[in-house]
Amino acid sequence: MNSPAHSSRCSRRRFLLRGAAGTAAAVVAGRQRGRTAGSGDTNPYAYSVGVHEKTDPALVKYVERRRIDLPWKEARRLAVTPQGNLLVAAGQRLGEVTPDGSAVREVPMAAPLRCVAVAADGTIYAGFRAHLEVFEADGKRRATWEKSPERSWFTGIAVTDDAVFAADAGARVILRHDLAGQVTARIGERDKDRDIPGFVLPSPYLDVEWHPDGLLRVNNPGRHRVEFYTPDGALEFAWGRPTMAIEGFSGCCNPVNLAVLSDGRLVTCEKGLPRVKVYSAHGDFECVVAGTEMFPENAQAGAGDGFGDGTRASLDAVVGPEDRIYILDTVTAQIHVMERKPTANS
Amino acid sequence: MPSLNQPSSPVSRRDFLRSGARIAGMTGAGALLGLMAQRAGAVTHVWQIDPAKCVRCGRCATDCVLEQSAVKCVHTHAICGYCELCTGYFEPEPNALNTGAENQLCPTAAIIRKFIEDPYYEYVIDEQLCIGCGKCVEGCNRFGNGSLYLQVRHDRCVNCNECSIARVCAGDAFRRVPVDHPYLLKTSH
Repeated sequence: MNSPAHSSRCSRRRFLLRGAAGTAAAVVAGRQRGRTAGSGDTNPYAYSVGVHEKTDPALVKYVERRRIDLPWKEARRLAVTPQGNLLVAAGQRLGEVTPDGSAVREVPMAAPLRCVAVAADGTIYAGFRAHLEVFEADGKRRATWEKSPERSWFTGIAVTDDAVFAADAGARVILRHDLAGQVTARIGERDKDRDIPGFVLPSPYLDVEWHPDGLLRVNNPGRHRVEFYTPDGALEFAWGRPTMAIEGFSGCCNPVNLAVLSDGRLVTCEKGLPRVKVYSAHGDFECVVAGTEMFPENAQAGAGDGFGDGTRASLDAVVGPEDRIYILDTVTAQIHVMERKPTANS
Repeated sequence: MPSLNQPSSPVSRRDFLRSGARIAGMTGAGALLGLMAQRAGAVTHVWQIDPAKCVRCGRCATDCVLEQSAVKCVHTHAICGYCELCTGYFEPEPNALNTGAENQLCPTAAIIRKFIEDPYYEYVIDEQLCIGCGKCVEGCNRFGNGSLYLQVRHDRCVNCNECSIARVCAGDAFRRVPVDHPYLLKTSH
């Protein structure tokens, strides 16, 4: 049996312990409430583009058929192989997945891969920060092209039967190479005599796409437009305007990446308000492939967040067989497989 | 003849004075060391915002103990794209790309826009006007390179033991950093 004195000591200790525990809980709850309030309260200084994050459903003409979770981090760009598989430039590796998402292979690279393209014969052209490399279809390195002497930052590649066009965002130029790697033309540099205003690239996003109609499509994000060049570098025409509205290109610098449908229409990718749209070759807005709602994490991440290179949050798109559009979300490392919605006629 | 109440010898008096002086000296030295330690403790670390964690919640503008927040927007020009349509400077859908007040995003017009060459513009923060709301930072980070970001400016910060902004920071972005490296600056890529 406890003595009265012992019983009293226990009560006092329990009282103090309970008091300390209560105080600690109150402090933690107070801190937590402060934080929650901070994040949940209406921010009087909020930057809001919310109205532009909602897409009119009538404008969305594509439906998502599949979503592929890539097993690789730092996925940046896509390319389609002649067999219809997807090549992914992801960090220091080149990955390949089937259209249904099964990983086929992974080729390790010596440095971070920035962009990739595949020729009709399966030859792979890989862009690194300041040089290009050529690989056989099986992933064996065939050649390393001479390192560019300029402040290069390769971000896009397009391949034809006899030329390789490399978009150098660092030097603000499209370099045309022959298949041996020699530079044969410089396209898109500021040239008053040829009425070429030059690329404005606040961040490293310069893409180039080729279409059998004979024209190169190049984005000029700082001017919010797409420019069409002949392979010799003549600027044929350009279109695009800055606006957050769906028919234009949003923010400081969009579009960031391009793809071409089989009939020459253009697929554009934007960052900030991550969205993918289709335009006619002459710049008429046609429809939305995927609105900002499809990429909530990408929209929240912000292109310039963190200590990165300004390329944290963006989208890339490629066109596969039957004009299926594959969209890469660089934040989630997911590929969204988009197909045209069936029309009443079809 | 000495009284019985007086110390029995002069040595005792000397000892007394010596020990008194020793105690006084030690007390003074202790107080000095304590003061130095206290002062040293106050300046070994200061508050700073980790730009990678900042979510631009607006609390830097509203929760600092100072009348005008010690948090200011800073600009790493090496990262800036010098955009004509700067999303840190302009409202999301400006009427025109000029310095008209209705086009500016900053509630205090604390960003100065200066033409450099077509089509590039330089943006400079006027810290006297900046209230650290982070509105421009969100615009820049959302669409651009993130060259605008918030930092605690130590010529203003009073370095509270418990920073009132840190308590409510939605992104948990406040942390103590060594006083000899008081800023967490973004660097060129």
